[in-house]
Amino acid sequence: MTSSRLRTAFSTCALLLGALPLAAGAQFGAGYGPPLVTVPPPMEFETSAEHYAWLLEQANGGAEHTFETLPRWDGLWQTAGNTAMDSFVDAPRFEGQVREGVLTPEYEAAYKERWREQIELGEVQYDRLTHCEPQGYPRILLEPYTHEFINLPDQSYFINDFASSIRRIYIGKEHTNIMGTHSWYGDIIGFWDGDRLVTHTVDLLPADFTRWAPMTSNQFESVEVWELKSYEDGTERLEVQVTFYDSYAFVNPVHAVYAYRRAGDLEDAGYRVVHWECELTNNALMDAQGSTTYRLPGEEGFVDPRGYTLFPELPGQSRDPIYNTTLPVE
Amino acid sequence: MRRLQHSLPLALAAGLLTVTVAVDAHHSFTQFDRTREYLQTGTVVRWAFNNPHSWLYLNIADEDGNETLWSFEGSGPVSLINRGITGSTFEPGDTLTFMYCPMIDGRNGGHLGWVRLSDGSFINPSDGGCNGNDANIERWKGWLEQGFTSNVDAEAAGQ
Repeated sequence: MTSSRLRTAFSTCALLLGALPLAAGAQFGAGYGPPLVTVPPPMEFETSAEHYAWLLEQANGGAEHTFETLPRWDGLWQTAGNTAMDSFVDAPRFEGQVREGVLTPEYEAAYKERWREQIELGEVQYDRLTHCEPQGYPRILLEPYTHEFINLPDQSYFINDFASSIRRIYIGKEHTNIMGTHSWYGDIIGFWDGDRLVTHTVDLLPADFTRWAPMTSNQFESVEVWELKSYEDGTERLEVQVTFYDSYAFVNPVHAVYAYRRAGDLEDAGYRVVHWECELTNNALMDAQGSTTYRLPGEEGFVDPRGYTLFPELPGQSRDPIYNTTLPVE
Repeated sequence: MRRLQHSLPLALAAGLLTVTVAVDAHHSFTQFDRTREYLQTGTVVRWAFNNPHSWLYLNIADEDGNETLWSFEGSGPVSLINRGITGSTFEPGDTLTFMYCPMIDGRNGGHLGWVRLSDGSFINPSDGGCNGNDANIERWKGWLEQGFTSNVDAEAAGQ
């Protein structure tokens, strides 16, 4: 590309950027295409299991798809907004107040402290993902980087590029938990109702929606309804209507919708998902005040962000042979 | 590369539609002082076009010409590609003029705001740790013409 074409492209980019709202807070529902609308189920359920069983009954036990009839959601996707925070904070966005009576007293008090940091200090001081914890569920629903949705007759794989986390949905199966413990993405079963995928997630580790959103407990569960939707303005979105259940954290079930849009621009730019992790590349950590800081080059514990080796004396051990430059390491 | 050349303008336009949604970094940005924005020039040592965040390492010379390695965080590759920034946007040896928000503890690092390329164009590799958006670039263009090197000085002068 010539410099003039590049300059033109970036000028166009800059002009359009100026017309966009500030990025911060965009996860409050702003996104891609028409406004997102949360659609709660037609009745309230005591438990997620009752909710899922009712949907399964409505779908007459679910459809049996083959490779030929399965809805295909191939390719790369990016998040396109969600309404999750609408349940927890009154408008306007980061200037709003925590909505009372949604969370149980213990969880409401904990969230108010988290929100106080956001409002008074401008930021929640530390994010548990900083030290490479998996995002867990429900946070995986809104994490940036890329998402992939692979549907097979017996399973679906929902992949987020953030440290390569995978949700496995077992189609037409019952829950099992032979390890007798909870996990970051839990046990997920599902069925097809036509072209809609209905899922039920249980046995999760405590996590959060994001660092500025409420925490969740080890009793957090969900029922999701996934559907590829097209709108009159040409927008195509993969949307998931979710009901969250948490007997420790929520007074009543919480409803939200999350959306994803195709990331054709990334594919056109040659972007491919490659495995990455934090252990060998991360320099972010919690400081003595409980806030966030970094190790910089030359400081004790600093690792090359392209990955370090325990055997630097051997030839061919660089983790970055393409770039092939080094940074000072203690 | 040819494919990228054809698709970049379209990719930029399409990517802009979602620039606003991919900002939920995996960490807080409290380690940066976003109220202070400084102009700086340095020579690229390494551009780590990495997940979960990119890092730009530059040698910066003091008044006596002694160079020190500085580290600046930027957004992740997905968000950067949305803005037309790739792994080859910065090459070792490039001399860059850029704006950054410093680390609050005063060490040699910060978060990238905007970067001015050698052809004079501005790009925005920032994430939540500094404001590199178009409105701030426009504001800085005026300050650069008047010789300011920080937002604090410019604002103190009533600009």
